[in-house]
Amino acid sequence: MKKRTALLTTFLLLLALLLVACGGGGEEPAANEGSTTTTEETTNEEATNEEATNEETTTEETGEADCASEEVFCVGLVTDVGEIDDKSFNQSAWEGVKRAEAELGAKIDFIETKDAKDYATNIGLFADNGYDVIVTVGFALGEATAEAAAAHPDIFFIGVDQFQAWPFDDDASNDLPNLAGLIFPEDKAGFLAGALAGMMTESNTIAAVLGTDLVPPVVAFKEGYEAGARFVNPDINIISTYHPGGLDVAFTDPEWGASTAKQAIDQGADVVFGAGGKTGNGAIIEVANHEGVYCIGVDTDQWETVPEAHPCLISSAMKLITPGVFDLISAAKDGNFPAGNFVGEVGLAPFHDFDSVIPQEVKDRLNEIDTGLRDGSIETGYNPGG
Amino acid sequence: MTMDMKQLWKRYGPLAIILLVVIVITAWRYALNPQTTTAVLASTLRQSTPLVLGALCGLLGERSGVINIGIEGQMLLAAFIGFLTSVWTGNLLLAVLAGVGVGALLGLLLAFMSVTLKMDQIIGGTVINILAFGLTGYFYQAGLTTQGKLRPIPLGALADIPLIGPVLFNNPPITYVTLLLVVIIHYVLFYTRWGLRTRAVGEHPRAADTVGINVYLVRYTNVVLGGAIAGLAGAYLTLEAVGSFERAMTNGRGFVALAVMIFGKWTPFGAWGAALLFGLATAIQTQLQFAGELAIPHQFIGMLPYVLTIVVLAGFVGRARPPAAIGQPYETE
Amino acid sequence: MTTEQENLEQTTASSVGMALLRVWRGVSVPITAVLLAVVIGAIILLVSGASPVAAYSALIKGSFGDGDAVARTLEKATPLVLSGLAVAFAFKAGLFNIGAQGQLLFGAIIAAALGFGIEGLPAIIHIPLALFGGALAGALYGAIPGALKTYTGAHEVITTIMLNFVAINITDFLANGPWKDTSPGNIVARTPKIAPSAVIPEIGNVPLGFVLAVLAAVITWWLLWHTTLGYEIRTVGLNPHAAEYAGIRVAWITILTMMLSGLLAGMGGAIETQGVVGRYQPGFNVGLGFDGITIALLGKTHPFGVIPAALLVGAMKAGASQMQFDAGVANEITDVIQALILFFVAADLIVRWILRMRETDEEKITLSTGWGKQ
Repeated sequence: MKKRTALLTTFLLLLALLLVACGGGGEEPAANEGSTTTTEETTNEEATNEEATNEETTTEETGEADCASEEVFCVGLVTDVGEIDDKSFNQSAWEGVKRAEAELGAKIDFIETKDAKDYATNIGLFADNGYDVIVTVGFALGEATAEAAAAHPDIFFIGVDQFQAWPFDDDASNDLPNLAGLIFPEDKAGFLAGALAGMMTESNTIAAVLGTDLVPPVVAFKEGYEAGARFVNPDINIISTYHPGGLDVAFTDPEWGASTAKQAIDQGADVVFGAGGKTGNGAIIEVANHEGVYCIGVDTDQWETVPEAHPCLISSAMKLITPGVFDLISAAKDGNFPAGNFVGEVGLAPFHDFDSVIPQEVKDRLNEIDTGLRDGSIETGYNPGG
Repeated sequence: MTMDMKQLWKRYGPLAIILLVVIVITAWRYALNPQTTTAVLASTLRQSTPLVLGALCGLLGERSGVINIGIEGQMLLAAFIGFLTSVWTGNLLLAVLAGVGVGALLGLLLAFMSVTLKMDQIIGGTVINILAFGLTGYFYQAGLTTQGKLRPIPLGALADIPLIGPVLFNNPPITYVTLLLVVIIHYVLFYTRWGLRTRAVGEHPRAADTVGINVYLVRYTNVVLGGAIAGLAGAYLTLEAVGSFERAMTNGRGFVALAVMIFGKWTPFGAWGAALLFGLATAIQTQLQFAGELAIPHQFIGMLPYVLTIVVLAGFVGRARPPAAIGQPYETE
Repeated sequence: MTTEQENLEQTTASSVGMALLRVWRGVSVPITAVLLAVVIGAIILLVSGASPVAAYSALIKGSFGDGDAVARTLEKATPLVLSGLAVAFAFKAGLFNIGAQGQLLFGAIIAAALGFGIEGLPAIIHIPLALFGGALAGALYGAIPGALKTYTGAHEVITTIMLNFVAINITDFLANGPWKDTSPGNIVARTPKIAPSAVIPEIGNVPLGFVLAVLAAVITWWLLWHTTLGYEIRTVGLNPHAAEYAGIRVAWITILTMMLSGLLAGMGGAIETQGVVGRYQPGFNVGLGFDGITIALLGKTHPFGVIPAALLVGAMKAGASQMQFDAGVANEITDVIQALILFFVAADLIVRWILRMRETDEEKITLSTGWGKQ
């Protein structure tokens, strides 16, 4: 017995150590701003065996009661597989929802999807709890979102990066007046980034470290980037690569991103475009450690989200997801929801500390290209689905 | 004499051929384009570093008879704690030590499970993997950033040698330590009393016990040391390679390290060679995409490291004999 | 169990009581293990400032709260049963199949191809056709490491790990290339939807796929313990040299075992395609094969142990979203709990000490003996 007591003590000690080691890091990891905490359940002693019916009433009191009522405007967001704080598109969309909380008084909440098969379940959680607007982030949720929109005609759905095909067919029965796909011409943002890179390079070699071509926006960024660089600098040498792995790792492999960025720099690249979630972040953080090499971020103004990259970040190829999501939410609230495809803004992020480094003629040229892209006199040459 | 030659050839022949081919191709590529060759070889070394460390962790345990499939988890949790320490203290050395410490702690947990509790060792490793995945995912917070990571330290004049200089002698500290560890562990394992004891315990624990070797102590020490090395691999990921942490960022490297260890026939130099081969294939697949001339979809280029590993393994390396007492808990009588 | 105790029990307890006692001995350790894991999970939740009561009740609501929740749990458990069986089955022959993930992916994409590529078949033919096509694809992919081991000595742990990566690349290529959904407006990498006749239906709240998975477990059990082949497989697992000596063709058994293991994993992938996703889409089958290792270990590598293990983990997966929604707790806590359950199930020394139970030898599992066998 003594030996076993010793065993147990050792084990508990180990466990305590582990807890202490990690405990300091955590402050309610998925702190849902909008969620209300359930109260007073402690009266039930056998909490783990609690009857589901019992619990249902609790939720109804806290979560459902207000969202189901007419006066309370509730906005829910379902992320793609990945985290709300991904410093990229999930986060930007969430910022838009948070703006709706601040400016429209909306009650907000989010669910992080862990398994792609849960898209419908997670959307359903918001729909069943009487949310008025549901934002789903990422092209992969497109199918689940459209199905939910058909099943819940009284709820507005905003699908970020979800191209809607139904506005283009003649069959009115396919129409979903409560669904808007917020899409972006990423190729144009990439084009601007490529033009910037093409004008800033001295070695005449620029690089792109990308997520995977399974994700259409990434392909658009790449094609735009290369076209933009060639537009200003026809003889430029562009080295770009996709992550060799599957969807589950392509955006969460910063080590590969960093190593690949270095491999590009070692062979002379002096501007690196990192477009691939955390993989891309790894690339631009690596670039920050090399003097005289610039990096360009993606999706949001990564000056704000990846401060480690400040030494090299001249700009980011931005999709203005936050204002796009917010505009659509307020349109839903005001009753003038633009169903179909809603094309959001793209552009280059501010130059921040590099404002003085970038010559005026480069800035002028970028403005010129931006105008050209807008009025259609310049084309990126990227044509998805075609 | 001829017998010896034959045996030598059997043992090192394939290796020599591979080495020769690599050297010839490298020289040829270097003559064509020195910059690219340097870039690829430097990338090879970087890609191989976490794999070598993971494999060293695995082989220390297995040489003493304890399977460690928890390398992935040990790396991940160590990467996380190393990163947090760097965020809180801003001291990279302290952060590396914290990573190594956590790795050792998880090694202790594995040793406790497999040696003391006599739990199945594969379960022990799996517990560590899931636990690390869950804990890091649960406790990770957004917005934590560090300024800076471990920078390369050029080794004086050595770093100026063409090709070899920038590849070998201009690296960040953990990469140097890794190269040293390969040599040290080889020496310890095959030329010291401790190594002899370790191998004895891994091959025939009963006999080792009879001659007075403390089997439990040897296993505990090796598994904890191995854990510390896996911890260093984790620290490499967050503090040297990336400078930031992401959930599940090990992305299967712990398992590839396991493969590398078996590939290298449970020897430090073998593992190093296998890891370099894998790293080279990874670097080349990136380079092929950079070149952009190939009309094949990039998924097929991306397969290169894995297919190459299988081909080399099946074609040249073949059967490898693991330590005899591997996986078996030892009971004193 | 000592003879004294046996005598005591025989005199004091009726046969019904004995049976109950045996059942209790069988389930007490896992139940205690789960409870311990839940308690430690609660401590972690408290430390991080979340409410364990809210979290756990939401988890249960999301996994068993109503008919839909139960269906979701069964749906999540289905591929876990099959990948768990795949890993457990290979263990019986002393093989460690880390490649269930790759085999499952092949099963999923081939089932999709047969599902969308063929039209006009009645469901009674189309469903099994796609299902067996997928299972066969998994079997063939599983045969590769078996054959490599037999003919070249390449360790299956290496080859299966490598083949997992290869499988991802090939399926990604197919879903984004030759088999890509070309319906107007689609730019997403995925195959077309499978024909309705290939869809595996639900019977009430029970997905038919789950029934098939349970059936597969029964067949696996029967094969292992009631056929000559099963005997040979287990003999090879215990001692390949003795098996060789006894006239068993170890090489053939190795390949066949890996094939059957791959068949089970591939079937899991096919059911995912036909019963849940409705097409093949990259990123929708992540981690299921790796979960198989956990499930096999949790189920003590017994086909009937795999089912409750898969249900338990499936329930945690099914309830995780509800837990996030109601209690604001990150899903990863379920991974921590899983790890702890596995720990306590395996570390029965601790649990038995708490229950004041004696150890019985027959329940002890040693899988890692297969690691070094060649």
